[in-house]
Amino acid sequence: MLRYLGRRVLHMIPLLLGITFLSFLVIDLAPGDYFSTLKMNPSISPDVIHQMEVQFGYGDPLLLRYLKWLWRVLHLDLGVSVAYRVKIIDLIGARVGNTVVLALASMLVTWSLAIPIGIIVALRPNSMTDRTLSFFAFFGMSLPNFFLAFLLMFAALRTGWFPIGGSFSVYYDSLPLWGKITDRLQHLWLPMIVLGLGGMASLMRLMRANILEIKQADFVRTARAKGLPERVVVVKHILRNALNPFITLAGFELGNLLGGAALVEAVMNLQGLGTLMLDAVRSLDVYLVMGSVLMGSVLLLLGNLLADLALTLVDPRIDFTRSEGSR
Amino acid sequence: MRHLILAAVLASLVVACRQSSEPSARTPASSSLAQRLVSATISDPKTFNPLLVVDGASAAAVGDLFEGLARLNPVTIEMEPRLAEKWEISADGTVYTFHLRHDVRWHDGVALTAADVAFTFDAIFDDRVPNSSKHTLLIDGQRVKTEIADDFTIRLILPRPFAPLINALGFDILPKHILGPALQNGTFAQSWGIDTPPEQIIGTGPYRMARYVPAQFIEFRRNPDYWMKDDAGKPLPYLDIQTVLVVPNQDTMYLKFLSGQTDAHSPRPEEVGDLRAKADELKIVVQDVGLDTGSQFVAFNRNPQHFVQNGKADPRLTWFTDPNFLKALAHAIDKQSMIVNCLNGYGKPAVAEISPENKLYHNPNLQDYAYDLDEARRLLKEGGYIDRNGDGVIEDGAGNPIEFTLNTNAGNQVRERMCSMLKEDWTKLGMKVNYRPLEFTTLVEKLDHTFDWDAVLIGFTGTTEPNNGANMLRSSGNLHLWNPNQPAPATPWEAEIDKLLDQGSGEIDVQKRPSYYWRIQEILHQQLPLIETVRATQFSAYKRSIQNFRPTVWGLYRPELIRIAE
Repeated sequence: MLRYLGRRVLHMIPLLLGITFLSFLVIDLAPGDYFSTLKMNPSISPDVIHQMEVQFGYGDPLLLRYLKWLWRVLHLDLGVSVAYRVKIIDLIGARVGNTVVLALASMLVTWSLAIPIGIIVALRPNSMTDRTLSFFAFFGMSLPNFFLAFLLMFAALRTGWFPIGGSFSVYYDSLPLWGKITDRLQHLWLPMIVLGLGGMASLMRLMRANILEIKQADFVRTARAKGLPERVVVVKHILRNALNPFITLAGFELGNLLGGAALVEAVMNLQGLGTLMLDAVRSLDVYLVMGSVLMGSVLLLLGNLLADLALTLVDPRIDFTRSEGSR
Repeated sequence: MRHLILAAVLASLVVACRQSSEPSARTPASSSLAQRLVSATISDPKTFNPLLVVDGASAAAVGDLFEGLARLNPVTIEMEPRLAEKWEISADGTVYTFHLRHDVRWHDGVALTAADVAFTFDAIFDDRVPNSSKHTLLIDGQRVKTEIADDFTIRLILPRPFAPLINALGFDILPKHILGPALQNGTFAQSWGIDTPPEQIIGTGPYRMARYVPAQFIEFRRNPDYWMKDDAGKPLPYLDIQTVLVVPNQDTMYLKFLSGQTDAHSPRPEEVGDLRAKADELKIVVQDVGLDTGSQFVAFNRNPQHFVQNGKADPRLTWFTDPNFLKALAHAIDKQSMIVNCLNGYGKPAVAEISPENKLYHNPNLQDYAYDLDEARRLLKEGGYIDRNGDGVIEDGAGNPIEFTLNTNAGNQVRERMCSMLKEDWTKLGMKVNYRPLEFTTLVEKLDHTFDWDAVLIGFTGTTEPNNGANMLRSSGNLHLWNPNQPAPATPWEAEIDKLLDQGSGEIDVQKRPSYYWRIQEILHQQLPLIETVRATQFSAYKRSIQNFRPTVWGLYRPELIRIAE
């Protein structure tokens, strides 16, 4: 097992090198750079821009810049953002907590709703309940997140029950502990619902399809033939097997924490990594983009590794330590 | 059906939310503290070092923390005393003597002296400090010399009379006792970043920075030792706290104002009608502030570097330098429809490069090119642009069909709509116009680097000092869009503009100075390297409970007097 783990981690190194170099290349291929916007401002002299370009090493050839960046990263230094002139690690650090809380909360909504609904629907396929819920599921899938965010904010405006945007209110510091918690929750509700509902529909459909498929499987028929009570058949045989793909999905979610919520964060004015990245990409703040890409890739790879490990625990048929060659 | 279902979903959500939350989550924005003003900005500040600021959000963030020797009075558009109580200019216009106030203290209690002013000039002219003030204060490449006469008197010595100097003196004065070491050891450009603890940002301004939470808000608290007093001798400012929310989305910004979470808002054209209709219900004032101070224009590429290859000139170069051709285009722009369709009816046709809001320097005598398609066609015919082969597209004298590309930066909805109207208008003349919006950085790359473009709709912001446009007007300027960085003026009229700019900056008589800039606007209007389009009316919306809130296009008038009615 340890050897397997070690090999998996070693495999990540060329992968990360490839991902980061490609990202670097793509950003470089994009026309213009961070300074393009400044160049069209009549009150900024070309000297200033030139000085800043030199300061941030924009004159070097691409490969040299990449190697310099890599060298710094190996020393755990993600560099300095051109736009903010602040260490990137600090910029990311200031926001990572909010994004994680939001993502976990919305995952909670998604999973705690999607799985039971998926089960209910799959146990009585094509019933009225199935049709109604499936209709909403498709509706939810086709409704873009940011649009749903706007709708809910509009509802918030009309009712006055929710604050519009932000992660906490400006009075936050003067509130007692309990007030702080409720204040955070009040701000969390809407984005949590938006992100949760968005993911829920597809998960519920997936659950439904899985169960329907497994219901036909030989071992289910065997279990029934053995005369096991229906409850045991469903819980022990059908559900346990239907959940397998969800563990893989959970691994992906870890990577999605970073970028998935960007639009919703932008619309709902949340202090998260998504907006930071979106902003960085738009303003071509190279090192900030690279920092985020690196973090996202590491999280995604780690997530997959953890998911694979979890799968071996849940499903005895899967044993990566032996069948590694086939992967 | 779709709507019904949507409504049902929303209703169920709303009900679900209601049960799970406190009875009322809406906190009136100014209930807990009487003298608090909440506003919003579109992005995070990038630096708290006033000298390094290159973006609006940072400028807004440091605006109330620091002060200059003088400040712009946005009503009279003249500079009025601030840190300097008064100043004298020597008869030959080369020595400015500033008398500083004696009662100004930095936020940490240290007195402001002439040494701080001299230090600020040193920082501006330091080669290791990338800043734009330098650019406005360098006169023929030479720096302004400073001479400390005594603790509260400082002289500026100029190499030659330079009228724009006084308008350039609004820049923020920095504390020598705080930033001095950083300038000496070369770390000035890294000091006062957004990660600096707020209490370490030391200015002389009416507010101190209390807190900055990235992507959420900046909070300013009243400086209790501020020198300015109201007429009754009461200390200013009146407001205790100013909170600026960071709201990266304009729609969200609007919703926040509608819901009362912010006290003031600069509405977009499409929001004005809605706000006016709801003014009573929301208890707000919606005020017409004035016209855009900048200018939105179509520029045409006249750069031989791009159009002349192997000694052969592209026909487009001939068109874009032909006044008849350009005048025909100008006559074919339906500015009234443009105002209605792109600015929701709130705007005026633009004639001159300098906005009418810059009362002194705007040339009011120019006659706009009237919307007149017949006149446009006549001009084209006169220039030999006729459809000779009957394919519906006109050709120039040499038989080249008239076809060019019009660019603008994608994402700017007003400009995008303006471009499609321009395309429509010019197609009516029998030209083939390819409209292609480009990512801003791509566009800049073309304008600044490859020069591979035909026509572009773009805008520049305006300031009260006309010499600040020199970058664009001067033939050697890098923003002389149509043919930048010329070693020598390519045309007699560009040479004349260069000369007028020199004369305008050397003229210290405020009465005589405008004539030079009027003439420049006249030349631009005749030669049409830029065709002006329209100027949007600016609006401001704010709660009725805010007193002394006086927005102008040049900024708030005496913001320290703002207070909230109890």
